[in-house]
Amino acid sequence: MINEIVVISGKGGTGKTTLVASMLAYIKGVVVADCDVDAPDLHILLKGIELYHSGFSGLKRPVIKKDTCNDCGLCHRYCKFGAITEAIQLLSNKCEGCGLCAHVCPTDSIEMRDVEIGSIVHRRIERGDFVYGRLIPGEETSGKLVSAVRKKAQTLATQKSVETLLIDGAPGIACNVIASITGAKQVVIVTEPTISGLHDLKRVYELVQRFHVKAHVVVNKSNLSDEGLDAIKQYCMEQGLSIALEIPFNEDIVKTISALELPPNRMPDFYRSIGFEGFMKQLNLL
Amino acid sequence: MRIAIPSIGGNRSDKVDSRFGRASYYVIYDVTTDMYSCIDNSAKSEVSGAGGQAVRLLGKNGVDVVLVPEVGPKALQALKAFDMKAFVYENACNVEEAVALYQQGQLKEVLQESHGGYHGNHGSHGLRRV
Amino acid sequence: MKIAILSGKGGTGKTTLSMNLAYLLKEAVIVDGDVEEPNLGLFLKGEALYSTPVRKAYPTINETQCTLCGDCGDFCAYNALLPAKQGVLIHKELCHDCGGCAVVCKEGAISYDYRDIGIIEKHQILREQNLYSGILTVGEVSGVKVIEALRAAVETCEFVLIDSPPGTSCATVAAVEGVDYAIVVTEPTPFGLSDMKMVVEMLNRMDIAFGVVLNKAGIGDESVQLFCEINKIPILGEIPFSKEYAAVYSRGDLIAEECPDYKIYLDDIMSRLPIGAINRAIGGDCYD
Repeated sequence: MINEIVVISGKGGTGKTTLVASMLAYIKGVVVADCDVDAPDLHILLKGIELYHSGFSGLKRPVIKKDTCNDCGLCHRYCKFGAITEAIQLLSNKCEGCGLCAHVCPTDSIEMRDVEIGSIVHRRIERGDFVYGRLIPGEETSGKLVSAVRKKAQTLATQKSVETLLIDGAPGIACNVIASITGAKQVVIVTEPTISGLHDLKRVYELVQRFHVKAHVVVNKSNLSDEGLDAIKQYCMEQGLSIALEIPFNEDIVKTISALELPPNRMPDFYRSIGFEGFMKQLNLL
Repeated sequence: MRIAIPSIGGNRSDKVDSRFGRASYYVIYDVTTDMYSCIDNSAKSEVSGAGGQAVRLLGKNGVDVVLVPEVGPKALQALKAFDMKAFVYENACNVEEAVALYQQGQLKEVLQESHGGYHGNHGSHGLRRV
Repeated sequence: MKIAILSGKGGTGKTTLSMNLAYLLKEAVIVDGDVEEPNLGLFLKGEALYSTPVRKAYPTINETQCTLCGDCGDFCAYNALLPAKQGVLIHKELCHDCGGCAVVCKEGAISYDYRDIGIIEKHQILREQNLYSGILTVGEVSGVKVIEALRAAVETCEFVLIDSPPGTSCATVAAVEGVDYAIVVTEPTPFGLSDMKMVVEMLNRMDIAFGVVLNKAGIGDESVQLFCEINKIPILGEIPFSKEYAAVYSRGDLIAEECPDYKIYLDDIMSRLPIGAINRAIGGDCYD
């Protein structure tokens, strides 16, 4: 139904957000979401008008009612995460919200209450709608926040009969990434021609294969190393992966992003020369 | 018979949701009484296991058939474990239209998962053989 | 003394700084805490000394005792247990090992088994230094347990450098928990600044002292320096953007080894670290 495309990388800093920003310059009437909730960046570029801003609760943590507590210490003994001290105080950074303390408390003095772990924002932008999430730094259950951001974006797309949903995903291979790609139609993996880039590409592609999604590779900073680029090409060929685009390093891209503009608007010739439009067509975006 | 349809709103005129396990709401249509009702989906933000939780929730609400846009491997496993049948709708439409399509026999039954999830590390233990 | 190197934004150069500091700090034990995408071992190559699996628990149900009451499914906060019609479906990888389901089950039908979720490796690198790497198995939801195992392995070491994962979520918290000092690596761009602010917020919440290294200096603007000045955050040093450094890195080599001018920037950073405390901790002189 909705052409949902998620941009991920495995290795951080390969250029996911810059790529998503560049793709946006070519399309209108889309929903775009930033699911890199512990280091969101797209909202710096995509200003627009804020329509919705809400806290998000990902887990419950215990609230201990001291007046009914009889200091039996059962909660302290049962907690496997060491989150309740002998003095029956909560160490919230250790608490994983399992609720066992509340279950074992003989005086019903523990109540599990929703804890806000981040926020979700929806902005109306020039090119459509933009949703992003921001984790409270250091908090738990970031994967749920990622799911919630995607959910909001999908609902918006369905409500407005929008065909394209573009997602700026998270680096790594664990729950943030898994929550970003489960059920998606297409995945774009951004890599770089370095030893680390190839190593991380292999691991993230291994994850992607479990999801039966169509995958495309984009090599950013492609002119950084000829050997590095050859190694990536070799790997992609062995895996039957298509390299959909190669973007040579260009200092002007960094400068354009720093000036908070979409690079293809400032440097159309460069983007034409690398065949960016063809890349967009390959993803069924044009 | 009770049919559940994932929906972005909670009414029969609302559009169907693009996800099953992470639907915002489930609209339940009771064939015998010709009545619509709605339940909220508490599992919609789960990173994983949303489909299974959704099926359990629907099971508690006496649902026999679910109409789905897609179904992940855990959701499929859960549907089988709850003896529920699932039928796929392909196009965006509203809840009522999806029900009509099902009753006209136009929706295909789901026999395997439409996309991957975790392979390799999940398993089902404790399933009794009867 | 434990020093963590982290960044918030990926790709700012924290692993590059970690590996080059490791090269110069001959007494340091090195830890690669980025267990989702561990890279240090690609650059700091050496003989493998051992490899240990990291195990995580999951519930198993005794079918004859189970009455399908559903209490375990109602209790589990992580969707690991799904009581169905004929039995309980178990999603092993979602279990957080809280032990709650076994307590909640009135029939005593639940016990726990263990499965491997990753490995810890120890390598001998450089001049008789040790590198501990953690590698999370692809498909696993969380690397926190692997990171905790890494930290436990180096708990008694006197001087440890920890290369942390990017971001500010649970993996990064597990990697930097309880360290004495943190080096935040960033780049002079709006994205670099934004992510650095999140890391600063996290470190303040965790009460960890830190300083900033500005990598790829010259490619963006002055907003990072301005932010540090206003908030009285020490800048430990700046390393300029250089295509030469990038080329050495892309090959898998150490910049400190190949480029003599790079060492000068590291000397500068080292001069502002709490080096006195490090030397006292190891009873010697840590820096080359």
